[in-house]
Amino acid sequence: MIELIGVSKRFGDSLAVNNISLKVASGEFCCLVGTSGCGKSTTLRMINRLIEHSDGEIHIDQQPIRSFREEVLRRRIGYAIQSTGLFPHWTVARNIGLVPRLLKWSQAAVDARVEELMALLRLDMAEFAGKYPHQLSGGQAQRVGVARALAADPDILLMDEPFGALDPITRENLQLELRDLQARLGKTIVFVTHDMDEALRLADHLVVMHEGQVVQQGHPLELLREPANEFVTSLLGGEDRGLKEAALLPVSERMVPLGVGGVARDRIVQTASLRDALSMMLWRRVERLAVVDDEDIPIGELSFRRLVGARGHE
Amino acid sequence: MNERHGAPWLAPLCWGILLVGGCLLMRFLEAPLRLVEPDSRAVVFERVDLLTLLGRHLLVVSVAALLSVVVGVVAAIAVTREKGRDFLPLVAQVASMGQTFPPVAVLALAVPVLGFGTVPIIVALMLYGLLPVVRNTLAGIEGIDPAVREAARGMGMTSRQILRQVELPLASPVIVAGIRTSVTINIATAALGATVGASNLGEPIIAGIVNGNTAYIVQGAVLIALLALTVDSLFGWLAPGHTG
Repeated sequence: MIELIGVSKRFGDSLAVNNISLKVASGEFCCLVGTSGCGKSTTLRMINRLIEHSDGEIHIDQQPIRSFREEVLRRRIGYAIQSTGLFPHWTVARNIGLVPRLLKWSQAAVDARVEELMALLRLDMAEFAGKYPHQLSGGQAQRVGVARALAADPDILLMDEPFGALDPITRENLQLELRDLQARLGKTIVFVTHDMDEALRLADHLVVMHEGQVVQQGHPLELLREPANEFVTSLLGGEDRGLKEAALLPVSERMVPLGVGGVARDRIVQTASLRDALSMMLWRRVERLAVVDDEDIPIGELSFRRLVGARGHE
Repeated sequence: MNERHGAPWLAPLCWGILLVGGCLLMRFLEAPLRLVEPDSRAVVFERVDLLTLLGRHLLVVSVAALLSVVVGVVAAIAVTREKGRDFLPLVAQVASMGQTFPPVAVLALAVPVLGFGTVPIIVALMLYGLLPVVRNTLAGIEGIDPAVREAARGMGMTSRQILRQVELPLASPVIVAGIRTSVTINIATAALGATVGASNLGEPIIAGIVNGNTAYIVQGAVLIALLALTVDSLFGWLAPGHTG
């Protein structure tokens, strides 16, 4: 668990972060969003003491971060950044094994861990282990960056716009994989981004920052439904909010179980989002979709009226 | 130069053989030297054995180079550390301005302060050789992608680990290039030492100038050029390649 209590950061006379309080529970995926210069990166970097906070307290698992030596603290916190910062003179395998080696694991343990991580991040061992960072594509380099951050199996992972420089398709793939990875490994993640769609897709806990302060925080749906002010509304996409909310809700939420009327021709899986369902309706020019489970067996139906959440019986 | 293709050790070997051969066999080259200098009584420099002069030349240059590398690299590392950052602009400026200072002037200024002999020439060479080393070490360390350093810190490496495992290896091609420049320049500059009483391959040149004997000058100049080429190609062979 990470806890920030009344934390501020001053650079000279200017206040980069102004009295923020924030709690990230264990296993939670927390996204810090905001415009550039709002202090989100500074906040992240204060957690592993790359930047020292000026006021307030930061605790990790109830212990103040200043009670650890800097290096010791950082070795137990994973860290991934946009430009990856892979060491250009080291191979992929050596880059990934960095923190375990700093922690003086045996060579055999390091090798085993590197192999495990490469499999986890779908990097083919035979192909990539001996490559150098400049031989990798942006997406591959970022996978290596994430693998390196996870190497010593830290409970906490700090990520500073890790997918910011990737093309949209690679970015989405990595987002989905990260989400999946987090669900499986139960890491506590603090993730900085200015991409609202990315934040909504990933976060359990969304923190909106503006001019060094936390404007609003909570579950993404909560923020979408009740934005605290104009700034949050516009950041969340203004009129697009409806679509963004729909993207967060699964079809199963609004469907009617099977048995009412006939089965529609067009099918959608229950785990798809309402946004996907709406798009399918627009595209196929239909008002009804059959909802199927993972095995393609119909389990319900979704009508346009139900999708938009209109009240009353259709 | 492209020593990386074919046999990379071939160039230094050839230049080295020519150099040592030149020192040993100069006395048999009286005929061609006579063409250069038909009027003088002697055309082969025989006051001191050429191999001895080569040895002294190498000694002076090596001692000076060793000192400039140690002092230069340490100074450049010191001013790129957090505590020494304040001195970085000063040192960087001195290092690049010093390069424009002609070596003859360095010597001319060194003699009144340090007197004649081998010591002043070592000091002058060391000071002059310091500049490319400092400048390149600074450029090498400062040229490292800030993200790499950020990641290294973020992963929990100590400053010492970052220096030894990240900064120095990444900067080494640039640093070695600086040392190469420094040494090559100093091989030539050391010859000037003969004007202030140091005995080395500059001696035939000075003797030639004083006595109006072009053959002496040619002998000294050719041997110094061969030495510079040998050492430079040695660096080309041994220097770390530029990895991406």
